[in-house]
Amino acid sequence: MSAYAIELIDVHAAYGGIEVLHGVDLVVPEGALVAMLGPNGAGKSTTLKAIDGRLTPTGGCVHIAGRHMNGASTKQLARAGVCSIPEGRGIFPNLTVEENLRMLTQLHADLPMSEVAERTYARFPILGQRHTQLAGTLSGGEQQMLAMSRALVSDPSVLLVDEPSMGLAPRIVAEVYDVLRQLAAEGITMLLVEQFAQMALSIADYAAVMIQGQIVTFAEPADLGDVAGAYLGASA
Amino acid sequence: MVFPAGTSSEPRTRITLGEFIGLTIAGLALGAIYAIAASGLVVTYTTSRVFNLAHGAIGMVMAFVYWQLRVEQHWNAPLALFVALLLVAPAIGLIIEATLIRRLNPNDTGMALVVTLAVMVALMGIAFTLWPQTKGRLLPVFFGPNAHLSVAGQLITYEELISIALAVATAVGLRLFFFNTRIGIAMRGVVDDRQLMSMNGRSPAMLSALSWAIGAALGGLAGILTASTYQLDIINLTLLVLNSFAAAMLGRLRNLILTFVGAIVLGLLDAYVVGYLKLTGWLVHLRPVLPTLFLFVVLIALPAVHLRSGTAVISRAIRIPAGARSLGNGAALVVLAIVVAPFLHGTVLGNVNAGVALGIGALSIVLLCGYGGYVSLAQYAFFGFGAWLFSEVGHGGNPVGLLVAAAAGAVLGAIVALPALRLRGLELALSTLAFGQLAYYMFFLQPEVMGRSDLAIPRLHLPGISLESGDRNLIFLSIVFALASAGVLALRRSRFGRILVASKDSQVAVATLGLNLRLSKILLFALATALATFGGALYGSTQRLVTADNFQYVSSLFIVLIVYVYGVSTPGAALAGGLSLAIAPLLAVHIPVRFQAVTYFMTGFGAFVLLGRPTGIIPAVSEWLHDRLPRRVMGHTGGPPPVVVPREPSRPTVEVSRAAASDA
Repeated sequence: MSAYAIELIDVHAAYGGIEVLHGVDLVVPEGALVAMLGPNGAGKSTTLKAIDGRLTPTGGCVHIAGRHMNGASTKQLARAGVCSIPEGRGIFPNLTVEENLRMLTQLHADLPMSEVAERTYARFPILGQRHTQLAGTLSGGEQQMLAMSRALVSDPSVLLVDEPSMGLAPRIVAEVYDVLRQLAAEGITMLLVEQFAQMALSIADYAAVMIQGQIVTFAEPADLGDVAGAYLGASA
Repeated sequence: MVFPAGTSSEPRTRITLGEFIGLTIAGLALGAIYAIAASGLVVTYTTSRVFNLAHGAIGMVMAFVYWQLRVEQHWNAPLALFVALLLVAPAIGLIIEATLIRRLNPNDTGMALVVTLAVMVALMGIAFTLWPQTKGRLLPVFFGPNAHLSVAGQLITYEELISIALAVATAVGLRLFFFNTRIGIAMRGVVDDRQLMSMNGRSPAMLSALSWAIGAALGGLAGILTASTYQLDIINLTLLVLNSFAAAMLGRLRNLILTFVGAIVLGLLDAYVVGYLKLTGWLVHLRPVLPTLFLFVVLIALPAVHLRSGTAVISRAIRIPAGARSLGNGAALVVLAIVVAPFLHGTVLGNVNAGVALGIGALSIVLLCGYGGYVSLAQYAFFGFGAWLFSEVGHGGNPVGLLVAAAAGAVLGAIVALPALRLRGLELALSTLAFGQLAYYMFFLQPEVMGRSDLAIPRLHLPGISLESGDRNLIFLSIVFALASAGVLALRRSRFGRILVASKDSQVAVATLGLNLRLSKILLFALATALATFGGALYGSTQRLVTADNFQYVSSLFIVLIVYVYGVSTPGAALAGGLSLAIAPLLAVHIPVRFQAVTYFMTGFGAFVLLGRPTGIIPAVSEWLHDRLPRRVMGHTGGPPPVVVPREPSRPTVEVSRAAASDA
């Protein structure tokens, strides 16, 4: 069995006729948190889509836990333990908070709703207070908490998180990162895409810098040195 | 449901308590049928955001399937019901979802409307072929004709009680299913984000298919109940969708409880109006339009839609011919008419004339639907209005009558646009269909208009030029079409045309540029309706004798569909559509009676072309020629070169519904 939870080998992906990923090579070791950084349009979110099945790669290999997964559907990958929290929250806005949580039991039929609710409301009490409210009417931070609850209760083998800080107040971002830190401490393998590097680097084991559809640097955060600053500007 | 006119006018002077109870039960039973039908609409809409215009047609087909099994094959009722409702209807729903609905972009409301409309028309064509309306068909009453209770001296049939019980069971069952089961919640969630649903381990395709299967079964149940209470009639059963839509609109197509309430109110309204009002004189046709009036009240009472943004669907840019080229195309059409006209005679010449006249009126569809993005299903009402006005004003074929028809059309269009300002997409389309129905029953069928006998309309008489002969009339109509289509293209190239197309893409963007959306919408409706009434006047003048049936509201569906098939943003599509509809009856003469639903098949199945070629046949052929012929032959075009815009698989635009909020 591979020591890598995720392994991308020369992955190419395109929207229509326009190629966005030009041979991405990336590994995420078992139990590690890898932060993928890069400017807008670098292909970070597209890489996540190629991993979680939302986009079929046009070339290369996607390996999850050593298994070749090119062309697998999002449903198959979800059942294989890949939990993806996409950009823009990843919730069902026309369902209530409780119904959103109930959706988690679609994937894990053996997981009782009471346990899902208990674990979620223990970590995010505000969601407990708003369990009958439509998710689309929650604040941005609350919506992100609801999205994060998927990772909290589903014990994924691989967690993919896309831009969790987008549009959130600094206090809420800190809270979201607390949850990610906790999940990382529990040994969940994580690939975190973030445009603003500082916060991501503070919890990451490794950082991958992506520019124009390719990984240009892969190192531990301390070893990034000036690379991050050179590629990512002041935000790094 | 559209009732036979003859059943609608039994005056009652004094109503006893017993009769009141009888009326109430009858109203509840009718409301129950509406509720079941409307619930099916809500189920499919809630889970796919596609309004199934073919819902009534599925119910109609199921009623005929049930009749076939029960009456022709002599099956017992439970077995026939089981096969019709639990096997055939879900199978039809699954097939429609898998072959058509799944391929639709949820942001493309117009295409979704057109495709479901096409399914409706195609199913009607199939029904006309399998069960020709040359003989009457009746369904046996459940439990026999003597199965009834007596309450306060009133006979209440088991049929009525069954309808009410089934509606209550449907409402309670659906509520429990959608809010208390995992699969039901997933079906509600799938419309928010299909990919996210997939990440949660559910197959969005399976969920959508299931919702269409349930919706079709409910439509079938409503169809069978309707048919067993009234009679088997293809058009009336199909248009049940209009009535149930009125009920579903009360719940904004999402809230099952309000939908149920709306349906019951409608049923009671029908019963009390029949019981308490004398439906004579101009009110004689009030009953079939009650749901329409109810719908208008609901639409006016509901909050107006918000401006939207970011729902543009880009597939392929269409070339807009430059002024000189559009005039050149027009000249070519006129030359063609001059060459061809002498070879056409009798009925063929008459139908070609009618087709070109219809094409002139159908240019209004290019303006409204093609450029403005507003699907309007009332064009035949405007044609009829134009024809009637010309008969009233254009004495002796006076051309001033044409101008009056156009001017009155512009005023009518502006008036229609006022309530339409509040609506868009589906609501606007169905409101216009309802308007067409209203115009047919409350105007064209009136004895003073066309209801009593044929309406004689003089042939247009131009000073010094006689248009009495069909070939001259054809050449004249071709000139008018050429000029009108050049005008439509000039409008598209103008600032106003750019505003129209821009507001179709993003109303917010247009409004934030400081442009007046309301004014442009009113202007668009006024212009389009003027064109429609102008074309209608020419159509009437060409036909010389018309009846209300020439302006049946169902015909509006055909012409909109056929123009979409040929390319709704192309004036040539209006001509091709008008000619196709006018010539189809000529073809019908040469084929067996059983297969004479040519118009239904042509428009219904033809529209499926759009799934592969969303821009329609004419632009597709034009592009094909452009790619293969030398540039010199194709000539210069004023528009930009066509581009294929790569599209990232998009998430549907999500808005949290008020109805859902209140429901929760």
